[in-house]
Amino acid sequence: MDSFDLIAIAPELVLITISCLLLVSSAFVKEAKGGPEQDVFHAPRAASYVYSVACLLLIGLGAAFITRIADLPYLAMAGLFQSDAIANLLKAGSCFALLLSLIYSKQYLIDRGLFRPDFIVLTLFALLGQLVLISAANLLTLYLGLELMALSTYGLVAMRHSSGLSSEAAIKYFVLGALASGFLLYGMSMIYGVTGSLDLLEILRLLLDPRINHLVMAFGLVFIVAGLAFKFGVVPFHMWVPDVYQGAPTAVTLLIAGAPKLAAFALLFRLLINTLLPLISDWQPMLMILAVLSLVLGNVTAIAQTNLKRMLAYSAIAQMGFVLLGMLSVFDDHAYSASMFYAITYVITTLGTFGFLMVLSRKGYDCETLEGLKGLNRKHPWYAFIGLVMMFSLAGIPPTVGFAAKLSVLEALVDADFIVLAVIAVIASLIGAFYYLRVVKVMYFDEPVHEQSVNGTSFAKGILGINGLMILVLGIFPAGLMSLCLNAMRSTLIGS
Amino acid sequence: MASSLTTAHLCAIPLAPLVGSAMAGLLGTRFLGNRIGQIATQSLTILGVAISLILSCWVLLEVNNGYYFDGSVYTWMKLGELSFDIGFLIDPLTAVMMVVVTFVSLMVHIYTIGYMKGEEGYNRFFAYISLFTFAMLMLVMSNNMLQLFFGWEAVGVVSYLLIGFYYDRPTAIFANMKAFLVNRVGDFGFILGIGLLLAATGSMNYADIFAQNTVMAAQTVPGTSWNLITVACICLFIGAMGKSAQFPLHVWLPDSMEGPTPISALIHAATMVTAGIFMVSRMSPLFELSDVALSFILVIGSITALFMGFLGIVQTDIKRVVAYSTLSQLGYMTVALGVSAYPIAIFHLMTHAFFKALLFLGAGSVIIGMHHEQDMRKMGGLWKHMPISCLMMLLGSLALIGTPFFSGFYSKDSIIEAVAASTIPGSGFAYFAVMLSVFVTALYSFRLYFYVFHGKERFGHDDHNHGHDEHHGLAPGQKPHESPWVVTLPLIALAIPSVIIGYYTIDPMLFGKFFGDAIFVDAVKHPAMATLASHFHGPVAMALHGFTTPVFLLLALGVLVAAICYLWVPLLPEKIAKVFAPLKKILDNKYYLDDLNQWIFAKGALLIGGGLWKQGDQRVIDGWVVNGSAHLVGKFSGVIRQLQSGYLYHYAFAMILGLVSLLAWILYTHIYIAY
Amino acid sequence: MILSYAIWIPIVFGLIILIYGSERPSAGVRYLALFGAILGFIATLPLITNFDLANPGMQFVEKFSWIPRYDINYSLGVDGISVWFVVLTAFINIFVVIAAWEVITEKVSQYYAAFMILSGLMIGVFSALDGLLFYIFFEATLIPMYIIIGVWGGKNRIYAAFKFFLYTLLGSLLALIALLYLYNLSNTFDILAWHHTKLDIVEQVLLFIAFFMAFAVKVPMWPLHTWLPDVHVEAPTGGSVVLAAIMLKLGAYGFLRFSLPIAPDASQYLAPFIIFLSLVAVIYVGLVALVQQDMKKLVAYSSIAHMGFVTLGFFIFSPLGIEGGIIQMISHGFVSGAMFLAIGVLYDRMHTRQIADYGGVVHRMPKFSAFMVLMAMANCGLPATSGFVGEFMVILAAVDYDFMIGLLSATALILGAAYSLWMVKRVIFGAIANPQVDGLVDLNNREFMMFIVLSICVIGMGVYPKPFTDIIHPAVMQLLEHVAISKL
Repeated sequence: MDSFDLIAIAPELVLITISCLLLVSSAFVKEAKGGPEQDVFHAPRAASYVYSVACLLLIGLGAAFITRIADLPYLAMAGLFQSDAIANLLKAGSCFALLLSLIYSKQYLIDRGLFRPDFIVLTLFALLGQLVLISAANLLTLYLGLELMALSTYGLVAMRHSSGLSSEAAIKYFVLGALASGFLLYGMSMIYGVTGSLDLLEILRLLLDPRINHLVMAFGLVFIVAGLAFKFGVVPFHMWVPDVYQGAPTAVTLLIAGAPKLAAFALLFRLLINTLLPLISDWQPMLMILAVLSLVLGNVTAIAQTNLKRMLAYSAIAQMGFVLLGMLSVFDDHAYSASMFYAITYVITTLGTFGFLMVLSRKGYDCETLEGLKGLNRKHPWYAFIGLVMMFSLAGIPPTVGFAAKLSVLEALVDADFIVLAVIAVIASLIGAFYYLRVVKVMYFDEPVHEQSVNGTSFAKGILGINGLMILVLGIFPAGLMSLCLNAMRSTLIGS
Repeated sequence: MASSLTTAHLCAIPLAPLVGSAMAGLLGTRFLGNRIGQIATQSLTILGVAISLILSCWVLLEVNNGYYFDGSVYTWMKLGELSFDIGFLIDPLTAVMMVVVTFVSLMVHIYTIGYMKGEEGYNRFFAYISLFTFAMLMLVMSNNMLQLFFGWEAVGVVSYLLIGFYYDRPTAIFANMKAFLVNRVGDFGFILGIGLLLAATGSMNYADIFAQNTVMAAQTVPGTSWNLITVACICLFIGAMGKSAQFPLHVWLPDSMEGPTPISALIHAATMVTAGIFMVSRMSPLFELSDVALSFILVIGSITALFMGFLGIVQTDIKRVVAYSTLSQLGYMTVALGVSAYPIAIFHLMTHAFFKALLFLGAGSVIIGMHHEQDMRKMGGLWKHMPISCLMMLLGSLALIGTPFFSGFYSKDSIIEAVAASTIPGSGFAYFAVMLSVFVTALYSFRLYFYVFHGKERFGHDDHNHGHDEHHGLAPGQKPHESPWVVTLPLIALAIPSVIIGYYTIDPMLFGKFFGDAIFVDAVKHPAMATLASHFHGPVAMALHGFTTPVFLLLALGVLVAAICYLWVPLLPEKIAKVFAPLKKILDNKYYLDDLNQWIFAKGALLIGGGLWKQGDQRVIDGWVVNGSAHLVGKFSGVIRQLQSGYLYHYAFAMILGLVSLLAWILYTHIYIAY
Repeated sequence: MILSYAIWIPIVFGLIILIYGSERPSAGVRYLALFGAILGFIATLPLITNFDLANPGMQFVEKFSWIPRYDINYSLGVDGISVWFVVLTAFINIFVVIAAWEVITEKVSQYYAAFMILSGLMIGVFSALDGLLFYIFFEATLIPMYIIIGVWGGKNRIYAAFKFFLYTLLGSLLALIALLYLYNLSNTFDILAWHHTKLDIVEQVLLFIAFFMAFAVKVPMWPLHTWLPDVHVEAPTGGSVVLAAIMLKLGAYGFLRFSLPIAPDASQYLAPFIIFLSLVAVIYVGLVALVQQDMKKLVAYSSIAHMGFVTLGFFIFSPLGIEGGIIQMISHGFVSGAMFLAIGVLYDRMHTRQIADYGGVVHRMPKFSAFMVLMAMANCGLPATSGFVGEFMVILAAVDYDFMIGLLSATALILGAAYSLWMVKRVIFGAIANPQVDGLVDLNNREFMMFIVLSICVIGMGVYPKPFTDIIHPAVMQLLEHVAISKL
């Protein structure tokens, strides 16, 4: 382990150290005198201390990763850990995603007594898991990161122990998650059994050898795909998504709906492209089926939902289907980068959407039903406009970024001669358009029923506005982000 | 030959009335808030028409000296080779029409001052009739199909506006829509004819089209075995049937009497309705090449001439009698066209324009005298109250029935002879028809004359069943009075030509070189004109000979019968009506043609439209396909959503199921496909 | 840069209005909008004055690289086919602004912003030379229109808004795949380059169908037309005007820019099918228009019938037909626009569009009635009005192409007159029907000005269409030459 390795994993090291320090140090922060009886659950000062440190840390990390995007791929820690372009891009994305999530949810958390040091630290650990997973060059590190991320998330979901819904969601998430991890682990073990290696590159090399047992490999592959499908939340491994999205506090939902999608993409990329590419003839049709199922079922079911978080859950299922569509091509940097572009822009939109919901929530009221948005345009045209932009972006209508994303994925499909898939995809998104339009409809066409108030820190509001405009700006000038993804993907593919 | 007549002059002819009309229409109405009064309006419009009359007379003289003009004024549209122009063709045919139109129009303008006095919309009326004059002049002066069609439609619109002049009368606004739609049916054919000619010749100009007529005669309509020129001519003639109210498209003309009387005289007797006749004569180089088309025209004309005459006998509304007589006379003209006696058709068109305008204006004068009473049963013995009108009407009637030496005699008698001389299929029937309708014409004309001006006075009894709601009629004891000079002057001015014009113009127009190349007759195939020419020994001889022909007997008989029934034995008609009750019923219902249109076409279209809308659009396309698919998706999603039961073990089961099926699939591909 | 100005001036003004007017009194907003609309229109005038008649190709071309990843360019340009629509769009926008003057009272700034942005986007559609740029403008128009219908619409506006959006989206999404397919073949989104891309007949037919879905819905062609009447009935006056005057043209324009030149053989091959649909539109829809009780529905159906003429003209492949179709489109912009404005004028006073509620309007509104009759006449193709020119050309071309087709299309003469004049008879003429009609007041100066200008356009174009055809002709000839060359 030389100094380069240290440099390579420096951000993760910093993150873990600071997280641990925060966890400990927060206990020693003096709370204001005369306040309520102090304990770790009611420590506003400690929380805000942790919060501010965490934000600074995230900014720092994000910046660090961005500076590394251009770096050449580097294999560290005896091939356990790789730092390549897409890893750094996705990591930067995850950091900023978490940063935005924290900014949006601050007021929300305070109102619900969730603004606590341990909560924030837990999010940091989840992030750490993601970073490790994204950079994993070995099945072990990969699994390690995955579990770290998953376990912290379970905790976060369960955090609001006052609410039965949350606990139920947490249990479901945990049990099903365990099941999925089981699948994944089992699949890995099979692959290890065949190849005798945990190292991704090694496995790839061995797979090219004709003498290996393909059937067992294929079985391993099935388990791995199943595990992946769970993380993506695509049909039929999607059942947890709606319940968890709805059950968890919106802030936590955002933590699940945002950054982890990037991790999921990384997972998919590492396992299927980086490693099991030779088995594409096996996994391509599987992804195809999963993608089509999620596109159709996700969009169709979303129509029946009146709870926004639940609706967004189904929308997420459908959108992930789109991400999968991009990965069907055979070693095509354009297609993969299209997929990555889709995932990143989707995360940006999701952040905005949930931020929007949280800004409209207040103490004792969670804005999460269509009812709640009725007639928003009357009193809060600006926020209605942001909501409108988000919805049209999710529906993929130009000039929003959602269109650019759908465009690039469809282009990849047509390029790979999956015209029929492309047609199915657009028909599905036509169905999908209906429920996004319905949200716009209630905001613009209906009369208000509940009185609406916009709250949340003014900083959060400002960021939300920027986020909304970003969706338009990226939609009109997508070239930059596109080429960023493409170059990252190129250098990575060349590297491996 | 050189002439001081420039294009500018020609342009001035139609534009003068247009300017007048625009002034009257924009400034004189509520549109811009009545900027100018009635005096200004009437003088402006009359001035405009007067100018074009004077210029038209000048044109006629020049033409008589051999002046000829065929040129474009401006290019309306140009697609590469294909150029659509607005232009004038000035030849004898045009010149005659121009003079007739502007003269009658001027008379009507003057007459209107008296007739429309005190009516609201006085200025609007002047605007309309001047606009009509413009449109009609554009029509007759055109040198191409496009402008012809423009004039064709434009006169139709003005007629639409004028029939609906009293726009709060339900009957009026029904009549004007009916008129427009029936005319549109004609135009439907007309535009197809134009299309065929354009397709065949690649030009809209008469000259180019006529130049290729023989070529076209050999062609057939693409994709069919029909002779091109026959189809084209019949299509064009369908247009003429609409405008010139030939059976079965005549139904609009009687209803058009809803309009004020002056326009009945101008548009629905003298000028517009003769546009079809003019058009066919103008197209003689084409029609001459298709005997089928000519026979068609001949038969249609004969039917109109005869059967519309019958209807004239049973009418009680003074204007409607004249209207049906107009139909019958138009039939005569059409017959003349059918036997390719185009000059005679135009000749009759001219004479008819004068005496029919006279009759209408006379009827109008009577109507004023009777305070807007139109029902002849409420008149009688008017001669002592309105002598001038009476005399003028008498002259008009005599001209109409074709008394020798009167203008009508020369034109009508020539037609009959032409038919007799014709050999074209259908001329037998035509001869019978025109002969019989001589009698009919005499009958209804003098029925009207006696009914209105002689016999006992039937007006002034207050009765509560008025013919038309808007009409007033005389109060009890009130006497009708002679009309003011602005009304009687035009009557006299029209009476003079009605009597003498035939005598002076028959020779040059029919047998002289007057028309020259304007009208083309294939003398070999259609010798009617030639035969006539050989029999013709000057107007006097013709008139004297006229007393000895069966025609004269027939008309004398007609007058006699009229005298008996309506002068001497007033009870006879009822008796006759009783005897021929069913026949009378048919005539009263105008052969049930209106009902046919109303019930079959109008109601039918609505029925189909309604069906297509409710069943096609709303039920099938919207109900089943559009909303149907939406509902389907909705239902589907409702079902799918049930899968999300909320039970953990269901979710786990789903995952396992997914996994197992994937495994099964892999197994399948690897075992069964691989080996 | 003229085209960019034409596109962005309205959009920028729209955004300014949106921000400025959010909580300011609406008077300022109105004048701002009017100023923007007029400025936008003036910006388009050089397109006509500086138009080079000799050049059949693209003019006023602008090209900037936009998304190099897919070689997507911000490339604009107009030829004789599209230039008139750019001007027309900017022109009609002025009327939309004026029409709403006193009528729209709530969310005024949003209303005007939506229309300004919409007009900019539509100009973009007509001037885009890049397939994807076209698509983005084409799709983006849905958003403001959806808002317009939904916010300021009538009772059933929600249904109408959704129907409009989803109906149109269905078609355009398929077109998107077609665009991507072409991109894969040619590695460019340049429409003009696609005109020369070799395609076998199967590809052509599939592409044609994909484009057909997008454009036939917009035109709309039977049987994809049922959204239009519903939308027209629910949309506010301005919305109806823009929809009828411009939006329908987007589809027809698409046929000329994409279907015909990109898939010429398929176009020839499928022409009978399109002609059949067009004739159905003319006759079937004409009959349906006859029985409508709602004025807007009636005019909406008549629009479908008129657009049937447009598509009929296009697929006859003769200069007369295609130029007739284009002229018909322009004319229909004026006439239908005026018709919907007129209905709006009545609706503002009586708050009903049912024909049965009217009668004898002429007694109280002579000025209005004069315009209404004129527009009705133009609507049924009276010579010397713009409505005649296109209809005449298309019928002549149809007769030339096939006598029976000409015969069937000419029935429009009768049907058009029937439904237009019957409506006039029942609404304008007759005795005063009821006290409400008795209480009507005639046009105010604002409305009078709108109609007088439109009437001048209608009559001017009818009396002297040469300037229009002079500009259109070269481009159409080039198009026809192109369509004549098989790609097989």
